[in-house]
Parts: sequence; structure tokens; C-alpha cells
Amino acid sequence: MDDKILTADKATAELISKAKNDGVETVWDRQQIMKAPCGFGEKGLCCRLCAMGPCRISPTPGKGAQKGLCGATADVIVSRNLARMVAAGTSAHSDHGRSIAHVLHMASKDGNYTVKDERKLLEVAKRLGIETENKDMFDLAHEVAEYALNEYGKPFGKLTIPPSVPEQRRKLWEKLDIVPRAIDREVVAIMHSTHMGCMADAESLITMSLRTALADGYGGSYMGTEISDILFGTPVARSTEANLGVLEHNAVNIILHGHEPALSEMIVLAADDAELLKLVKEVGAEGINVTGMCCTGNEVMMRHGVKIAGNFLQQELAVITGAVEAVVVDVQCIFPALPELAEAYHTKFITTSPKARITGATHIEFDEATAYESAKNIVREAILNYKNRNKEKVFIPGSKNHATVGFSNRTIINHLDKVVNSHIDPTGTFKPLADCLTSGVLRGAVGVVGCNNPKKVHDQSMIEIIKTMIANDIIVVATGCAAQAAAKAGLLSKDARRLAGKGLATVCELVDIPPVLHMGSCVDISRIMELVGEVAKLLGVDNCDLPVVGIAPEWMSEKAVAIGHYVVASGIDTWLGITPPIMGSEEVVDILTNRIEEMVGAKFFIEEDPMKASRQMIERIELKRRRLDKKMELKDLSMEEAAAAKE
Amino acid sequence: MNLFQTVFTGSNQALQAAQGVVKQIIEEKGRDHKVAFPDTAYFLPVIYAATGIKIKTVGDLEGALDIVKSLIVEEEKLENVLNSGLSTAVSAEIIEAVKYASQENPYENEPGIGFVSDPIIRSLGVPLVTGDIPGVAVLLGEAVDSESAGKVIKDYQSKGLLTFLTGKIIDQAVEAGVKMGLELRVIPLGYDVTSVIHVVSVAIRAALIFGNVEPGKLNDFLTYTKNRVPAFVNAFGPLSELVVSCGAGAIALGFPVICDTEVPEVPTCLLTQKDYDKTVKTSLEARNIKIKVTEIPIPVAFAAAFEGERIRKDD
Repeated sequence: MDDKILTADKATAELISKAKNDGVETVWDRQQIMKAPCGFGEKGLCCRLCAMGPCRISPTPGKGAQKGLCGATADVIVSRNLARMVAAGTSAHSDHGRSIAHVLHMASKDGNYTVKDERKLLEVAKRLGIETENKDMFDLAHEVAEYALNEYGKPFGKLTIPPSVPEQRRKLWEKLDIVPRAIDREVVAIMHSTHMGCMADAESLITMSLRTALADGYGGSYMGTEISDILFGTPVARSTEANLGVLEHNAVNIILHGHEPALSEMIVLAADDAELLKLVKEVGAEGINVTGMCCTGNEVMMRHGVKIAGNFLQQELAVITGAVEAVVVDVQCIFPALPELAEAYHTKFITTSPKARITGATHIEFDEATAYESAKNIVREAILNYKNRNKEKVFIPGSKNHATVGFSNRTIINHLDKVVNSHIDPTGTFKPLADCLTSGVLRGAVGVVGCNNPKKVHDQSMIEIIKTMIANDIIVVATGCAAQAAAKAGLLSKDARRLAGKGLATVCELVDIPPVLHMGSCVDISRIMELVGEVAKLLGVDNCDLPVVGIAPEWMSEKAVAIGHYVVASGIDTWLGITPPIMGSEEVVDILTNRIEEMVGAKFFIEEDPMKASRQMIERIELKRRRLDKKMELKDLSMEEAAAAKE
Repeated sequence: MNLFQTVFTGSNQALQAAQGVVKQIIEEKGRDHKVAFPDTAYFLPVIYAATGIKIKTVGDLEGALDIVKSLIVEEEKLENVLNSGLSTAVSAEIIEAVKYASQENPYENEPGIGFVSDPIIRSLGVPLVTGDIPGVAVLLGEAVDSESAGKVIKDYQSKGLLTFLTGKIIDQAVEAGVKMGLELRVIPLGYDVTSVIHVVSVAIRAALIFGNVEPGKLNDFLTYTKNRVPAFVNAFGPLSELVVSCGAGAIALGFPVICDTEVPEVPTCLLTQKDYDKTVKTSLEARNIKIKVTEIPIPVAFAAAFEGERIRKDD
């Protein structure tokens, strides 16, 4: 591999060079072997949705093939491909949410899964219109679970939209007919409409994509988060550490990688099992060190302070340290390259979900009905593997950083309560945040989310963008691998307020928070949607009126595409730091980056340069501020007029 | 207009006014005419503290105007807004200094006392340090009626706070039968909003005298006032841009501003409390002033503030 800079993270760089020395391949090697990507696929101009094809459209208008065999134009092909990405992303999140709902359905007083947050259960039940009076907690839990599960396939009616969505937004969705019906149905509808000879109109297809994505953001993901909180507790602020330096020399290192907390929660529990701890002593280790990666890492870190080993592009590097006894995975964003890589070390690569079998892996199926026993079996495998560790091959990088995490909305409100004057306002609201935004102390808020992508220098864009935002008094909320990049860079530490502008630094000091709030995993972006909606409601405006934007600087997955769609549909401008495969259709680009604003009050921005994207975001935030000032003034005026008329 | 723009506007108005009076006095008295407040060793205290510059003549005031200009940077950022607020304080000090430069005693025909001399500040030092004076209330503007104004002021008085009055609230206090005077801890400053600078000057000189802060180290002054001077502002009545920019100056010093009108609130800094019955409680909480009260059930108010009261024959 050449000397091109691949990462902004020191630990990552050190392990990439160890990989070279060890003669094992990583994602960056495979990227190099791939050479230049196919121009047709890159622009979204390749269609293989039927056996007449594959067809490909010339990227130059008027030159070469302009239509597929069926007559589908570039616009049709590009929008169909994109819609299928949305459908895939939505199904991934939503199936995750479904699993969690099933787990809630089996929750019982003495079972493996119980109800940790009764208050949240009552809140959710209430918002779903379920009677809570005089009900056994578990009966109620099962009813909520059943309600959630029905959201996936109810034959009539629409998805229950959470009350955090402002009234204006809800009406807009109704007008545009993008209120989702059942979650699964929307995914199926896209698969149907993108079939050969069906939908052949880019705008209509994009509208469908928005509806499907909303089924994710306000259905699958939203439920996934809420029910995870019910089952495992709503996160509260806590301290942890991040980066591969959290691996330990004399402990059994277990990496939890994947997404669903049903597994990772049990592993964390099992790692404290007396019987297993005895076994640890027998193999000569000092303890069990459970660390997390990607979103399942975020879940256990938010709720238990489990340390973060790394983000998406570091999953191979964790194995390459030679210090990991087991990588335990469930679903989503798991490199199939891992089993082969693990073989080069002593690491056991353990798959657990029937939804994600990987050839070459040790499969220990995780059974929710016997969750604790399953988890114990998995941890036992890891412990027994400790003796196989080759100490000469071990290299644990020194890099790690402190982070304060656990910022669920309830935690944020608890922190905001510190600055409420008890003689003026009630506690328990986002009003202090809304006040800081309207007065201008905070210029705006940005959600930094998304994956890693080897097309970009690992973590670099995210860190640059976050630093620029906080220096400009824009508070950052982060989830997923972006939040982990921030954690590794020390940006989730309360000390990081020294990098913030005066306004944000003052807020951080008063409220006792870091300038970047870790709000959880990718399904937890629903928390961000809830936060934005509640602030909009407090001010009596729509989401799109707020100085709030989102960015996925290094996005990669189809889930990120679905997220981007539901965020835009929610009225929040969204920047993409990686160009999506749409550039083959001027029409699709025009709709997504321009015309969609007329529909939903927000649009996509495609900008790969993080500094340029940052500037655009700040400009847009300031523009929204000016519009909001006017809107608030008009509102004041009309209130005055109304008062005058009364008199 | 948004809050930050309002502050910038007010600061520019203050600057213009300051420029006007400086120009006028130079024309009238010449550049070498003396400028000084009575009984102080700290020149124009706010300017001296912030910059270390000793202003002695009317001509020096022109330089002070440049300080004001340099503090107004109209980019909407918190630090700019706070600096803009400080600029208004400097403008106010310039305007008040010109008053003293043009007349022997500009506050002669007013109930307000204007500039607070060094000896008074020294006499306040000990009770401030011991907590005998638990806080400093700066009341500004015109309350909804005299009765409400009187209630608020008497409440502060009974809690031992030192209360400064600026604007029409002075007349309202008189009407409500509030007894005033240094020993009673209620001090009227003046009718003009710029006279509020005389209480800022008290806080600043406290840092110079008791905090031993070096002139020119502005940030050290702001830290001192924020941590050591338990002051806050109650702004009554409709707020002009000028008053709002004064408020930004108070916030820069670490003093919360509590208004009785709708303002864009900033948590812990700029608050709206329309209920006069809650003004005192709200203000004390905002400045984190905790008063241990042992209420003695007697028919008259009881507090250290009444220690210096003289019973006249007529009473």
C-alpha cells in the first residue's frame, strides 16, 4: 500500500502498519485491489432489476445508450436504485426494532429480560393510547410490544406518529401523502414499485422513498430506541473511554460488534457471572474486559459505560491487535472478511444471529428465550480462548480518550433543569435549550451521524466538521460511528469546551455538558428527531424553521440513506460527505438538492470537502436564524394585534 | 430585531451620544479641560480598569471613544455581544464624566447621588466580604406602579441587600415611602439611564481595591465581579435598545438581568419575571444568593439596613 494518509486516528494508523507486517489484508487493501470504481454504478446508471439487462445508461446526455431495454431512462434507473437503498436501510433498522419488540413481548418478572424503566413504559403506553390504570407492569409491556409489532403489518390505517412531531409537520406529511402506513408495507411497496415495468417517475419514487424512510425514523428506529430504553434503562450521563487503547493486556478481551442490545446487554451481564469469573482465574487472566464497536457498542456504552474499542473501519484492526479473544457479532455492518482475518490470530469470531450467518465463523445462536445461558456460553468460549493468545503478536495502541456519554433526551432535560429559575419556569422541558437558540447564544445545532467510508480519510471529516461547528457556537449531537470518532478525538470530554466558542462554552459550563452530546446508536437518531420536534413545538414553529442541520460526513450504508431521507422529510437540511450514486440523473439531483425543499422545507447538500460543507452549514444556519427572527417577530405582532382587537 | 442586534443598536446609540457630548465639551471648554469624578483615585474607573488608561482631560476622552468603537463588533456571537455591552458601559462612563466636567455638581438638583466615592466603597467592603450585605440589587426603569416598586425595594432592604435605583423608580420609591440613604442601603443614582454606570463603577473599584486586580486586565475584572460581587439587575418597564445593551454589559460582568417584560430569555442571565411578588425570589435564585432568614414576628421591618436609621423628631 502506498503512503497515502488513510486515517486521522493514531491507533488506526499504527494497526494498519501492523497489518502490513503481519501480512493480513484490511479494507484499505481491498479498496486498492478494487481499483477505480465502475463509473456506471458510481453514478447509479446501472440497472439489473430484470433479466433483459444488465443495462447501463451513458453518463453523457445525448451520447450512447440513453434508455434501458424497457425504455427506463437515467432518471428512472437512478431513482429506482436509490429507492431500493432506502428500502434496505429502512428494513435493517426496522427489523432491529422488531427484534427488540419481540424481546419486550417475552419480558417477565423473573425472566432474562425485564422492565428496567417503568416510567418510560408508562410514557410510551400513554402515547400509544394504551390504558395503563391498574395494570400489571408486564401485561402492559406485552401490550406495548404487541402494539409495536402490529405497526409493522397492520392492514389499515397509518403509523402512529409520535407526539414529538410538530402539528405543522404532521399536516404537511398528510398533504404530501407521505405518512407511512405499516412499516413492512412501505418497504414492500418500494420493492414492488421498483420492479421492472412499474414506477417510472423519479419524483413519485422519491416521494415513496420519503414515506418509507419515515416508517424507519418514526416507526422502526423510534420504537427500537423506546423499547430498548424500557428493557434496559434510559441512558444517563456517565464516563467512559474510547479507542483501541481500551483493550487490556492481562484480561480476556471481548469485542461486542453489531447492533441489537438484546445480545450485548446479556453479554455484559454474563461477564459478571461468578462461575465465569472463576474460570477467568483458572486460565490465568485478571478479568473480563468487554468493549464495544459500532452501534451495539454505543448501546452498552450509553447504558453501562462499556468502553468503546472503535468504530466501523476499526473492526479488523481490533483483531489485528492480537489481544482479542472473541469478536461477538449479531447483525449489520459486520465485515464478512472477519472470519478469515480472525484465523490469522487466535481470535474467535462468533456469529449469533440467524439473520447474519457468515461463512467461516463460529456460530453460537443466541436464543432470547435462554438469553443468559446463551450469553454465558459465548463468554465461556472467549475465556477458554485466552490461553491461545500469542503474547508476542500482541500490540495494543496507547491511544484512548475520556468521554462523557449517555445523553438521552431525559438526561439532557435533567441537565437543562440546572439552569431553570424555579420561580419562572417549570423544570422538565427543553425550554432553556430553545432560549439559548432563539437568543443567539447558541447559533444552532447540528447532528453529526453516519458511518466510516474508506473513500475518505478515516474519521477526519467528522472531526474537522465537529471542531468547526463547536468553535462557531453550534452545539453538536452525535450518534453512531460519528459519535465514536468524536469520542476517540476527545470531543465528548467536558474539557472539550475549551475548543468551543464563547456561547457554547458558557452553555456547557452552566449545564455541565460536553460540547458534543453522544445520543446513542443509529436507531437513536430517533432521539434527535424527538429533541428537534420538541424544541420546535416549544417555539410554535416547524422543524424546518429551526437553525438545525444534519450531516453524514463519511456515510456508507443503506441505513444512512434511509436516515438521510427521513431527516430531510422531517424538515432538516442534510449534508452528505460522500456523493451518493445519483449523479447520473440531473433530474434526481435537482429534486433532492433543490425541488424537495418546496415539498418538505429541507434538502440534501452534497459536499465532500468537510471545510466547504462546514461553511455551507453555518451559512444555512444563519439564514434559518434570520428567517426565524422574522417569523417570531410576525408572531409577536399578530399576538399584539389579537390583544389589541380584544381590547 | 433579534436580541443580539438590539444590543448592537443600543451600543451604537450610546456611542453616538458619547461622541456628541465629547464633541460639545471640547468645543466649549477645550481639549485640556480637566475630567474627573469626585473623591476617587481611579480616574474614570471603568476605563481605567479595562484598559489601564488614566483619563484626565477632555481630550483624553476622544481616545476613550476609540475603545468604545473597538468593542463593537457586529458579528452575532456571544463574546461580541458581551463586549458590545461593555462598550455601552464605557460610553455611559464617558457621558457621566462629561457631566462632571461641565458642572461642579451635576446631581445637585436631583434625588440621585451620582458618582459613588471611594470612601463609601471602602466602607461597604467589610459587610460585603462578611456577607452582611448578601447582595447588590440594581433597579432600573419604571415599575408598573409605585406600590409594587416599594414592595420590591423594601423586601431587598429587609434582607439586607444594597439596592441602587436608576430612573423613574426613584420617584416611585419616594412615593411608596421607602427611606433612602447609604446607611439604609437604598441608594438612588440618577434619572438618566447612564447613571447606572456609577454602580458598575462600584463593582469595578471593589475589584481594584479589595481584589487587587491589575488595571488593564479586563478578564480578571470580569472574573472578579462574576465570582465576588453578588449583584444583579432588575429592569422594569419597556426596554429601549440602550437599556438592553446596558443589560448585556451587566451580563458580561456576571450579573443576571431580570425584566418585568417579555424578552428573549437566556437561561440564568436574562430572564422575564412579570409577577412582582416573585421578583425578589427570582433574582436571588438567579444570582445564587442564599439568605438565612430568622423571621422575628414584630410589627416593623428588621434588618441591618435599618441600623443607621435616625429617628427624627417629627417621626
